[in-house]
Amino acid sequence: MIKSYKLKRHIANFFCYLFLIVMGVIWISPFVYLVMHSFRGEGMVTVDYLVPHEWTLQNYIDLFTGSGGSASLNFPRWFMNTFIVACFSCVISTISVLMVSYAFSRLRFKSRKKFMNIGMILGMFPGFMTMIAIYYLLKAMGLTQTLVALVICYSAGAGLGFQISKGFFDTIPRALDEAATIDGATKNQIFWKIILPMSKPIIVYTVLTSFIGPWTDFILAKIIMGDNRDNYTVAIGLQLMLDNDFKNTYYKQFLAGSVVVAVPITILFLAMQRYYVEGVTAGGVKG
Amino acid sequence: MTYVEYKQLNPFQRFAHDFKKFFVNIPHALAKFFKAFGRGFVKFFVGIGKGFRNYGTNFVKGDWATKLSYIIFGFGDFHKGKYYKGILYFLTEVLYILYMIFFGWGYLCKFPTLGTVETYTYMDGIIPKTVYGDNSMLILLYSVLTIVITVAMLAMYISNTKDAYKMEQLRAEGKTPTSFKTDIKEFMDGKYHITMLSFPVLLIGIFNILPLIFMILIAFTNYDKTHMPPGTLFTWIGLDNFTSLFDVVNSSKRATTFIKLTEWTLVWAVLATFSNYILGMVFALIINKKGIKFKSFWRTLFVISVAVPQFVSLLLINQMLQVNGAFNVLLSNITGQDIQIQWLNSTPLMARAVVLIVNLWVGIPYTILSMSGILMNIPEDLYESARIDGAGPVRTFTSITLPYMIFVTTPQLITQFVGNINNFNVIYLLTNGGPTTENYYQAGYTDILVTWLFSLTMDSQDYGLAAAIGILVFIVCATISLIVYNNSKSMKDEEAFS
Amino acid sequence: MKKIIAILLAGMMTATAFAGCSGSSESEAAGETSGDSGSSTEVSVDGSFPDVSYFGDEDNITLKVWAPDDAVSLFKEQCQTFIDHYSEKTISIEVVAQTEATAATQMLNDAEAAADVFCFPSDQLNKLVDAGVISPVAFTDAVTENNSEETVSAGTLNDTLYGYPETNDNGYYLVYDTSVVSGEQAETLEGVLQACEDAGKKFIMNAGDGYYACTFAFTGGVTVDGLEDDGITQKFADYDEDEAVATLQAFAQLFQDYKSTFQSLDISNIASGFDSGTCGAGIDGSWNATTDQEALGDNFGASKLPTINVNGEDKQLISMFGYKYVGVNGSTDFAAASQILAYYLTSEECQQQRAEELGWGPSNKVVQESSVVTDSVVLSAVNAQAANACVQVNISSTFWDPMGNLGNKLIADDCDPTDTETMKKLLEDTIANVRDEG
Repeated sequence: MIKSYKLKRHIANFFCYLFLIVMGVIWISPFVYLVMHSFRGEGMVTVDYLVPHEWTLQNYIDLFTGSGGSASLNFPRWFMNTFIVACFSCVISTISVLMVSYAFSRLRFKSRKKFMNIGMILGMFPGFMTMIAIYYLLKAMGLTQTLVALVICYSAGAGLGFQISKGFFDTIPRALDEAATIDGATKNQIFWKIILPMSKPIIVYTVLTSFIGPWTDFILAKIIMGDNRDNYTVAIGLQLMLDNDFKNTYYKQFLAGSVVVAVPITILFLAMQRYYVEGVTAGGVKG
Repeated sequence: MTYVEYKQLNPFQRFAHDFKKFFVNIPHALAKFFKAFGRGFVKFFVGIGKGFRNYGTNFVKGDWATKLSYIIFGFGDFHKGKYYKGILYFLTEVLYILYMIFFGWGYLCKFPTLGTVETYTYMDGIIPKTVYGDNSMLILLYSVLTIVITVAMLAMYISNTKDAYKMEQLRAEGKTPTSFKTDIKEFMDGKYHITMLSFPVLLIGIFNILPLIFMILIAFTNYDKTHMPPGTLFTWIGLDNFTSLFDVVNSSKRATTFIKLTEWTLVWAVLATFSNYILGMVFALIINKKGIKFKSFWRTLFVISVAVPQFVSLLLINQMLQVNGAFNVLLSNITGQDIQIQWLNSTPLMARAVVLIVNLWVGIPYTILSMSGILMNIPEDLYESARIDGAGPVRTFTSITLPYMIFVTTPQLITQFVGNINNFNVIYLLTNGGPTTENYYQAGYTDILVTWLFSLTMDSQDYGLAAAIGILVFIVCATISLIVYNNSKSMKDEEAFS
Repeated sequence: MKKIIAILLAGMMTATAFAGCSGSSESEAAGETSGDSGSSTEVSVDGSFPDVSYFGDEDNITLKVWAPDDAVSLFKEQCQTFIDHYSEKTISIEVVAQTEATAATQMLNDAEAAADVFCFPSDQLNKLVDAGVISPVAFTDAVTENNSEETVSAGTLNDTLYGYPETNDNGYYLVYDTSVVSGEQAETLEGVLQACEDAGKKFIMNAGDGYYACTFAFTGGVTVDGLEDDGITQKFADYDEDEAVATLQAFAQLFQDYKSTFQSLDISNIASGFDSGTCGAGIDGSWNATTDQEALGDNFGASKLPTINVNGEDKQLISMFGYKYVGVNGSTDFAAASQILAYYLTSEECQQQRAEELGWGPSNKVVQESSVVTDSVVLSAVNAQAANACVQVNISSTFWDPMGNLGNKLIADDCDPTDTETMKKLLEDTIANVRDEG
């Protein structure tokens, strides 16, 4: 009886492993394809076989030296731009998310729920029409075609994404605050000395999500940057490589560039995965 | 069911009862929502009315300094010895007046017509020169800016008069106003929410709310390809854009497109959300199953797709799904025949299915991440009572795990649902709306409302129509999420852990 | 004292209010007198350079020029020549890379941040004129005289010439691997497809893109004829519906007969397919000619589009054909200098250089006769096709999607070429959609 139960469990586990392996292969195959073909030496856009015949580093070399075609593309510069924008906007975003969610979670004030409701629905407007308005507001401030503008755009709305981290703060026992208040701590001190040190998962979660944003946006950034290619981010740059004029020449560089973009984010993600899960779990259940 | 009866149920039944109650209550919640909405509306105007009454009485009752601060901001505060506040009030007034003189007023005057001066070209010798007239778009934008600033200013003005009267009463009671230092301290404690919220609210106000008002107003104008600033003016046309969406008689193609796309958008959002959710849960369950080794390895394997920018992976998959793409090549290699399947561009059904499947590929990793933790939190006693009742693993899943997860993560589910209604990337990058059809206006079978909106703005410059669609999408999303959030467990038991 | 200030301030506010609102009426009056002062005086132009007097009092000139990537370095040289020629003026010119296809989009987004002088394809002319961001051409007479009639008329809207003609080669042509398709086979679509099929290679065309797919309608006589008076609705030339439907059926029949050979793909796959040896022929954009040549080497073959047999009669494929122009931004600070520069950049001298170095087909009559053009396989093919084409100007923005849909429907698996009624309906729907009716 016990034996058959064990056997049953072994069979069940076997099928689970099989499922995971098959699905894992499906999930990972586009990336394997991406990485393999970024080292492809022959062909232009597509080839009618799966594994490249000729392996080379040339695509990466061309990508970083800006050679291999007539266009003036400057991938290293775009990479740096994106990195800088991502760093700044993730600092500002994280600060404003934490501020907003602390206020909504811990402080009690008039119209708090109204504010929360408004904050929640504001982000639901499809944003394409507002982009031109944002452009002219930035222009009135003299910021168009600059990296500062991008930092502002990516971090301005961050406060609206307070749900998850508010949910997280809600799970921190209120007794802690009360004890501190009795000891004479102000709300400000409670935030810095008690809540923040306990919020590592949610901080990491917020940092991670806001860091990734600038690497993926290809619409708003394009409108803001216009013809100033020096200030492009990798997303618009990679998009540009797929333009009709460039595709034949730059497709393999596009693949290489995609790999280069994916590497830092993947590493960061893997290193921080544990906190990400903690943050999203704690915040998500309540959120 | 009475409370006592409820308490006598076992946890399993108790849970089933709660679960049922939640869904039975939805119509009630809907009604409550609209009632609350109406009440809020009434309260808002009553509040304004009260404000005006106070405004009047304070003026009548106040002394000369208080009266003066109805014209010169902060005078009351200054006169009563609260210098820094008085100066701040006064400075804002000066800045506002300067803003109005040099910038705001000019635009605001043209707001009712959105400009009358036309652009024209004249000949300077043989050199044509263009003299630009009014730019309706900028007039609208900067008018909105001015209106927002003015409203903020009015609020400032009211609070200034209130303050002046309060100071006067304070003095009459023989007290001295609080010092700058004490006030700062108050902002670090009792009024800490103001300190915390003002910076994010300022940013959101400028870069979210202001453009949003602008966009809403665009829906009431004829801003389209024949009314393009700076060359031509556009103006107010009332509700024409909305009627054209619902007017089946006169502009049937727009109306049918709108209806059909709404249908597909909702079907898409439901299918995409639930398929992602349930399959993601299956993945998470298997990974977290007892006896499965290398849990973090498996999780990592699936999560890598989160790290690659979506537009890269989606463009890549688009390429792989072309007639000569990797997918057909793979199938050809396996079958030994020349396979040429149009994955994205043959029948609507196939394209829609492919989009849904690719969306699974994109979305499941996120679900795995957020599920893994929650799954471990399901109370063990639920499972035990189920086991005593003799439920098998499938039944345990369908009657405990699934309902529990849906119940606990309703807010998340709704966020995802709304996110899918607005899921631009997957559709735009994968199919760009295709397969095409002659039955829709500027849209294809996989287009959802947002992607239609995008092509209306970017390709055919139908800004007014696009804005109208945007507003309708927004109303749907906002209503759904407001109702669900305000009736969800997390909102009601906000202080559960306190 | 403070009261007085407040009253003064309030007074100022009302004063500015009136000033602000009434200020407009003056300029309105000015607006009414516009238009009639322009007269075409005799223009003195010295070869490629207009007389320096046209600069008027403009000096310390800074200009920005948008040029496509592959032309940036040549444009820089040409701009330097321009600066050197007008040495009495201080001019600095910045040449910025900008793909021509997106030039109009960026002009519409923010003309002030855009270039003073920019290159654009003819299909964007309407947008630019509607938005009032492009300035009319100053040297109309000289430009009309020097450039081919088609390019001038396609750059003219409401009797005003808006673009300086730059090229006459913006279209598509048949490109093939001569080891697969012979010159004779390339004359008919049936021949090309058969040759590709025999060699086990593909024939690639982007049938789902309205730009290429409109060929199916055009060949049957459904050609475009400008816009209606409302300025947005597409007008079609009179056509014989039976003939148009029969042509569509012939196309559909061919696509079905050569199902495994004909592929509808993005045109970048053509050069790519030549390179990897999977593609035998394709209908490619003229701007890809260099890439195609590199991919095919000695086997490069190019000709005008082939014919198709409709009910026993060989009909020439009619294509969409456009030109490229250099335009002047209406909001430029240096209107005269920009006009002069645009004139120079499209002059005989510059067009000759571009034809030699970049292989761009010239719009200039003299350069068109030069050996660079007549000897070029690609340019001759493109020019031969231009004779059988609809000019890509005055195309409404609702044109492309329905035409792309037409192409998709013709190549679809469930398309039945023998079903005349469905085909007729498809054509009618397509035209109704282009005209935004119903």
